[in-house]
Amino acid sequence: MGSQADRFPGIEWVEGAGDFIKIDTELCDACARCLKVCLADCFEISEKKARVRSLAGCLECASCWFVCERGAIDFNWPPGGKGYKSLWG
Amino acid sequence: MSEYDVIVVGAGFGGPVAAKKCAEAGLRTVMLERGERVGQKVISGLTIPFYGFIFGPAFIRDGNPPIERPADGIINYIVKDIETGDIEIDDTLKIPKPLSPVLAFGYNAYCQPFCEWEADRAVESGVELRTSTVAVDVLREDGAVAGVVTDGGERLGAKVVIDAEGCQGLLAIKAGVRKKYPPDVISLADCYDYEMSKADVDRIFGHTLRFCWGWDEQKVAPPLGYGNGLMVWPYRQSLHFIQDQCLKTGSGKVPSLKDFDDYHRNITSGLPWWSEEVAPHIRLRTRIWDGFEIFVGLDDELRGMPNHADGMILIGDAAGLESTELCDGVPAAWFSAEIAADVAIDAIRAGDTTASFLKRYDERIKAHPIIQWSISTTNRHDLRYAQENHDIDMLRKLVHDGWGLGGFASITTPLLRMIFDSISEDPSILSSWIRMFPRYYYNWAHERYGDAPGGRERPRGVQTLGHRAFAAFMRSMDRFLQRFSSPVAKAAAFMTPATSAANPVMRFLLPRVEPFYLAALKLLEPVTDPLSRKLVSFVTRADPAIFDSPPGRGE
Ligand SMILES: Cc1cc2nc3c(=O)[nH]c(=O)nc-3n(C[C@H](O)[C@H](O)[C@H](O)COP(=O)(O)OP(=O)(O)OC[C@H]3O[C@@H](n4cnc5c(N)ncnc54)[C@H](O)[C@@H]3O)c2cc1C
Repeated sequence: MGSQADRFPGIEWVEGAGDFIKIDTELCDACARCLKVCLADCFEISEKKARVRSLAGCLECASCWFVCERGAIDFNWPPGGKGYKSLWG
Repeated sequence: MSEYDVIVVGAGFGGPVAAKKCAEAGLRTVMLERGERVGQKVISGLTIPFYGFIFGPAFIRDGNPPIERPADGIINYIVKDIETGDIEIDDTLKIPKPLSPVLAFGYNAYCQPFCEWEADRAVESGVELRTSTVAVDVLREDGAVAGVVTDGGERLGAKVVIDAEGCQGLLAIKAGVRKKYPPDVISLADCYDYEMSKADVDRIFGHTLRFCWGWDEQKVAPPLGYGNGLMVWPYRQSLHFIQDQCLKTGSGKVPSLKDFDDYHRNITSGLPWWSEEVAPHIRLRTRIWDGFEIFVGLDDELRGMPNHADGMILIGDAAGLESTELCDGVPAAWFSAEIAADVAIDAIRAGDTTASFLKRYDERIKAHPIIQWSISTTNRHDLRYAQENHDIDMLRKLVHDGWGLGGFASITTPLLRMIFDSISEDPSILSSWIRMFPRYYYNWAHERYGDAPGGRERPRGVQTLGHRAFAAFMRSMDRFLQRFSSPVAKAAAFMTPATSAANPVMRFLLPRVEPFYLAALKLLEPVTDPLSRKLVSFVTRADPAIFDSPPGRGE
């Protein structure tokens, strides 16, 4: 169980999800849309580019990928059995 | 030679239905699920409307799926001023007593146990289930889809891939079948789950969902109606609290979803029935969120995107079939799963899995009355115009037509069409419908889920004269429907064309009849309330065997 469990009660994380969301900084124009829609605060802007800050609280909703109309976000599922899990969905 | 006949990607609501059907037809079927356990990656509301159950897979209708609470309708709160408590109510969408709550409008459920129950039934039918397995790409043979590649690098061959991966559609996009949906048709739902004692849920909510709508500044509904207002689902001993917001609103604006926190705070402190009646009795259990395809069906281009290719069929959310009105996608996931399985079975038997054969899938989806109704109604979408113009009459009308009795002006024709189509295909479905509602209520009351009839020892209730009469009535109905199957089927088929008149008739009648109907319901309460309690007692005290489907149906 990851440390995010305290911040998001009732959710567990299986370690080993890896970097399943990546940002192509060539394509990113720092519009910050991914920051606006991410409820887990996974992103930050630094040096005029969006960067993945931490995927620890990510619920894999893909909102960041949906709003990135420049195609700078490469969104994949974490490896099988990794990432968040919930009994209360 | 392919290792499998069929690979089903995803064990959410639709996947297990398709997989089970394929396995029952003798096809070698594997179902891949990226979660460690089935259902742990599925987030939803969730009320599954009755039409999903009665027209959906027989094993669900005749079985004992785990439900959290039968739902008898919706109370809509139109919040005009949250500060002063100026709130209008539309509670017209309600199954009338004494039929409710035994006869339900839908069933509330948590996704994890429900999807797992479905997957267990699929496995019992011979499906191989592989959890912790992601389908990351498709395999190709001569350009056609011929299987999938897993995240472990395994290459699994199959004659047909049924893609039940949900709304993101990563595999479908990678396979080049369809494109990514634009953000304005995707809504992010922010869900809070609260524990509450069953006695409190029973007392405060009963079996009724509560929705709230209002102007932007009331902060109970997302900006300019791009999404839904507050929706509260009562479960067995918990509440699900949801709001959702489109990822893009008018003039290309991507809203800050951090505003959800303000909305949540504002509602929980400002909405009188929440802060006074509910808040003292709840404890937060979890907060989760997920996106869903709120308006895909309303966009011609998106609706026209392919749902199949050589060797591949998309179902449920992957095919863009989430309802544009009631927020429900499970019925369409079930319907499309069954259609996809039928078509895959025929294609494999015919030795032709090309897109030109699989096109039958698309044709049947386009001819499905409930699917087509559910992805074409616009009340939820048009809320934004009422919001923009602060038009209270329009807001009232949209709420009434979407989540009130007014909905019958658009759903009656497809409903009746499905009823007559189903009876003409198999008249015995009538007794299956009659048994389903009391069995589901019994199961809910006694938490009896998953036991196969004739399997583990069943609980024994009482058998009064009334129960024996019901059982005898059902037996004679079974015999009648068997004996007169052909004329009943013909009569239903004969009635089908007349159903097209139902919506216009409802449009004419509803506004005239509704006030009298509602007044009569109120007036009759002293009689219908005790009768409703009697019906509940009749059902919950019964030996449940009288509600089980006859041998040959069900699990
Ligand atoms: C907040 C919310 C509220 C909702 N409320 C309702 C409601 O009240 N009533 C209703 O009927 N519907 C509701 N829906 C919609 C409903 O949940 C969906 O329509 C339904 O789950 C769709 O079923 P599906 O089988 O198409 O996909 P899903 O149920 O989403 O299942 C997809 C499955 O595929 C797995 N998967 C995805 N990709 C891969 C891959 N590459 N490899 C392996 N596995 C994969 C996922 O882990 C998941 O288990 C709601 C949705 C949300 C988000």
